[in-house]
Amino acid sequence: MPNRSRLEASVDWIRLDSTPDDWKRADPALLIGMLSELHLIRAFEETVLELAGEGLVHGPAHSSIGQEGGAVGSIIGLRSADGVNGSHRGHHQFLAKALTHVTSGRFAIDGIVTGEVDTVLQRTLAEILGLAQGYCRGRGGSMHLQWFEAGALGTNAIVGGGVPMGAGNAWAQRHAGTTDLTMSYFGDGAVNIGSVLETMNLAAAWDLPFGFFIENNLYAVSTEVHEVTGEPRLSGRGPGFGIPAWQVDGMDPLAVHLATEEATARMRAGEGPAVIEAEVYRFFHQNGPYPGSAFGYRSKDEESSWRERDPIARMTRELLALGTITEAQADAAREQAVQAMKEVAGRLVERDPESDGKRRIKPDLWPDPAFVDVGIRGDASELADVPTLEPLEYTGETRSGRFVDSVAGVMHHRMEQDDRIIVLGEDVHRLNGGTNGATKNLAKDFPGRVLGTPISENAFVGLGGGMALDGRYRPVVEFMYPDFLWVAADQVFNQIGKARHMFGGDNPVPLVLRTKVAMGSGYGSQHLMDPAGVFATSVGWRVVAPSTAADYIGLMNTALDLQDPVLVIEHIDLYPLTEETPVDLDYRLPLGKAAVRRVGSDVTMISYLSMVRHSLEAVERTGVDAEVIDLRWLDRASLDWDTIGESIRKTNAVLIVEQGAQGTSYGGWLSDEIQRRFFDWLDQPVQRVTGSEASPSISKVLERAAIARTEEVVAGLERVVAGMGER
Amino acid sequence: MASIVRMPEVLANVTEAAIANWLVQKGQEVAVGAPLAEVETEKAVVEYAAEIGGTVLELLVAEGASVAVGEPIAVIGAPGETSDDAPASPPVAAEQAATTEQAAAPEPETAPEAAPSPVAGAPDTLPSGAAGSAGSTTAGRRFISPIVRRLAKERGIDLDSVRGTGPDGRIVRRDLDRLPQPVAPTAAQPARPAAPSPDAMGGYDEIPLTGMRRAIARRLTESKTTVPHFYVVADARMDALLALRAELNEDGEVKISVNDLLVKAAAGAFRTVPDANATWADTVIRRHRSVDISIAVAIEGGLVTPVLRGVDRRSIGEVATASADLVDRARRGRLKQDELEGGSFSISNLGMYGVKEFSAIINPPQSAILAVGAAAPRAVVEGDQVVVRRVMTVTLSADHRVIDGALAAQWIAAFVDLVEHPVRILR
Repeated sequence: MPNRSRLEASVDWIRLDSTPDDWKRADPALLIGMLSELHLIRAFEETVLELAGEGLVHGPAHSSIGQEGGAVGSIIGLRSADGVNGSHRGHHQFLAKALTHVTSGRFAIDGIVTGEVDTVLQRTLAEILGLAQGYCRGRGGSMHLQWFEAGALGTNAIVGGGVPMGAGNAWAQRHAGTTDLTMSYFGDGAVNIGSVLETMNLAAAWDLPFGFFIENNLYAVSTEVHEVTGEPRLSGRGPGFGIPAWQVDGMDPLAVHLATEEATARMRAGEGPAVIEAEVYRFFHQNGPYPGSAFGYRSKDEESSWRERDPIARMTRELLALGTITEAQADAAREQAVQAMKEVAGRLVERDPESDGKRRIKPDLWPDPAFVDVGIRGDASELADVPTLEPLEYTGETRSGRFVDSVAGVMHHRMEQDDRIIVLGEDVHRLNGGTNGATKNLAKDFPGRVLGTPISENAFVGLGGGMALDGRYRPVVEFMYPDFLWVAADQVFNQIGKARHMFGGDNPVPLVLRTKVAMGSGYGSQHLMDPAGVFATSVGWRVVAPSTAADYIGLMNTALDLQDPVLVIEHIDLYPLTEETPVDLDYRLPLGKAAVRRVGSDVTMISYLSMVRHSLEAVERTGVDAEVIDLRWLDRASLDWDTIGESIRKTNAVLIVEQGAQGTSYGGWLSDEIQRRFFDWLDQPVQRVTGSEASPSISKVLERAAIARTEEVVAGLERVVAGMGER
Repeated sequence: MASIVRMPEVLANVTEAAIANWLVQKGQEVAVGAPLAEVETEKAVVEYAAEIGGTVLELLVAEGASVAVGEPIAVIGAPGETSDDAPASPPVAAEQAATTEQAAAPEPETAPEAAPSPVAGAPDTLPSGAAGSAGSTTAGRRFISPIVRRLAKERGIDLDSVRGTGPDGRIVRRDLDRLPQPVAPTAAQPARPAAPSPDAMGGYDEIPLTGMRRAIARRLTESKTTVPHFYVVADARMDALLALRAELNEDGEVKISVNDLLVKAAAGAFRTVPDANATWADTVIRRHRSVDISIAVAIEGGLVTPVLRGVDRRSIGEVATASADLVDRARRGRLKQDELEGGSFSISNLGMYGVKEFSAIINPPQSAILAVGAAAPRAVVEGDQVVVRRVMTVTLSADHRVIDGALAAQWIAAFVDLVEHPVRILR
């Protein structure tokens, strides 16, 4: 018989309920503030549903009616510098934060709609309607509401997708030496998704001032919480990660407020994250103005029992009982909110002259369609005064060293100069510079700024994204292998890549993501991709792929200057090469400038990274008079079309050279662009060198067969020569 | 099962054609061989006959509209079928169409030598070895790289005369670079005065080019610039021939023209000098077993050259009948495309306009053309006497790649001999 003893979680898991005594002791101004925000949000949401019913809200209108108590109770006590991000059902979270920001949570019960409040209501409704005056210029709509100044970091349409970014905001707050915190709101559906659980682990590991606020409304669309989890008391997730947790009645705003006070005291004291589970109920279906019972997944009895717990009724009842307000004042508060929303809507919609009895959006309020692509990336004006150097023309002093030492060296140099730079990734802090020595000496010389992460790419790259959006730090994230982008795809592409544009086009996202192509290393099917094609065809990212150490230094410096996410691709074949580099590590390579590595007249070879060398070797072997262009910058916005175009007009033939698999290849989009831009200059189809269709296998022979090296480039050149006809 | 009718490749190397007129209406029953439409190419308007019978369910192309060869133009269903039964995409019909197209336009290079009549592919003067060996993918279409199209336009190069050495016979930049650079245009450009405005010059009218005019311009320019022409001239006394013609026409049902007799004489000359009945085919010379002679017919807006087949084997009456029919249908735009293709030789007769003599441009891929002037009374020395005879001057233009001077001389001598002894024409 083994010895068995009971283990306890290391942290508390608390059920908190308010008492009559709590209500008596509560600051009346706080309670009036709560009632005012509840009324404003309720009237706002009713207006949204009304407009949605008239077809004036494009896309879904996820109503928060019924759930307002959780957001108001938890947010009214926060500072403007505290961050809040939220979910697809986020109007109430956003409004509570924005209203608290402009009023400090204090309202006069007889005049709850001040000018600032009115502006918040109007700009929020305008955003939901997709209008230019909205907080995100109409881009974000209902599901992407952001107002940075108010600490509203942005609501999110990917379930759980905002949580890692919120943790990044919390990291920045803590490491900037503040006592500010970040609260991330999500629902019972999101509590089971990896982003949330990975972030719980990471936030606890790093003691981040980060609150996980679970709005448990019992239904993920129509799926009931008991159907999808063995522990429907969702706050129970916290203790398993070492995070204390509170469960509270979300229909009782004061109880939520009290639980939040306990949790935030801990967060502000640097003791790490907290979980708050608020039991709430949305009175309507997932979206639109009908109750869930209309769709058959819950009963009318259940709905009416929750309606009796309406947080507005509760607040009103308590305030009347306390004698804080009169019945007439209570009725008038509702009237003020309803009237305010009527006026706000009246400024945005008008009678439709072409359709009797209908309303329409005032036509002059729409965004200019020409705005569609503005702000996908920054304008790179941050590079305007930066001195640049072209290594091809450099004649000054050089030093000799291994490529990988330049990788670590330039980062070391920049971290000395710029305290904002933070390096994070798996094992970057150990093994004398990570698995390849690319972060050598950084952890030793910059304690606290080189963060070894758990193996949860989605969480730590998302955390980097949150740091970047905060703006106080410049995260340099490492993916040990490029294929991990699939693990982290939501954060990399849906969040980091789209954040600036989606929230209106103004937020810088200065993040550098490093990764190394490892084809030839035998790591097999799941580690050996070239990520260039996937990133180049995804919105928002800039991509560099240096083929020389001197270029690496200059490109990394430029990448660290840019206010955009930049993928820096490295290659293990390049790491051990000994190269000459300028002694000074401060130089930048200009944005969007390719290098012509060989001048020729027969064919334009376009390549990057390690394949530039293979291209030059193949030219030597074949004797073809090729012009070899080393792209350096690979993304749609930064590609050097001038150099490419000049060469194609001369040679009339193109060979795009890359190493990796065909499917996610880089050259696919590039050859498409080339044939459309230069069709009349081509003498033969754009030719390609790629790997095979398969992902490279571990077997040495099969791996070699799957990837391109010099021999495959030679074959590519021979195809080009055949296409040139007889001499 | 409804079938898609596709724009036929009415002539080899024609990539586009227009429906000049529909000859059927939607809902009409058609039999195999019934004319469906008049198809207008840059060379001619030809009738296109139904290859399957049934009900016309849809006419997909408006009159006057040009479509690419192979594009659907109509839908024909089994009798009683409605357009609803027509296939949205025509997999079966596509096969049928492909089969008929191949039948209509066999690859020139692969046509069996024994074929009794010349094959399609009239302007294919310069098939490249690569194009010929590339199989069906290149049938009827020459590949030209985009930069070559651009450069050819800039340099004024006629690509029909360029051999393509790229994949599938594609004309690539090197094929142009190999050509002698046309110095004149660039040198002349700076000196060329600015084009005076129409008003300053008293004005002119610009007449849009018709397809036929473009074809004449292109093909005759190509011929005159790439075929090495040389000329032999002879006079023939026509009195006997004219007398014979009068006699033949006295009681004949068929009216025989002077031209008919000249066509027959030419055929006879080829029988005497068979080596002249040959054409240039780039890698080989083709000596034809049948004498097929094109006759130039002036029509409104240009000319066409329908072919009289097997003239050597046909009686003068048959030749006259066939010739009259061709001329009549040429003037009414009713020739079929195969009547415009092939032949090794043409006769162009301007005698009726009083022209004394002229020389003509060879009609590719033929190797010779005979220009016939008016038969007029002239002073002729016979023995020691000056006598008056009706004399006709003929000029043979010959392609020196195929026909050398002596051969041309032998041929024209044989021709003159037959004209002057016309009874032999009837043999």
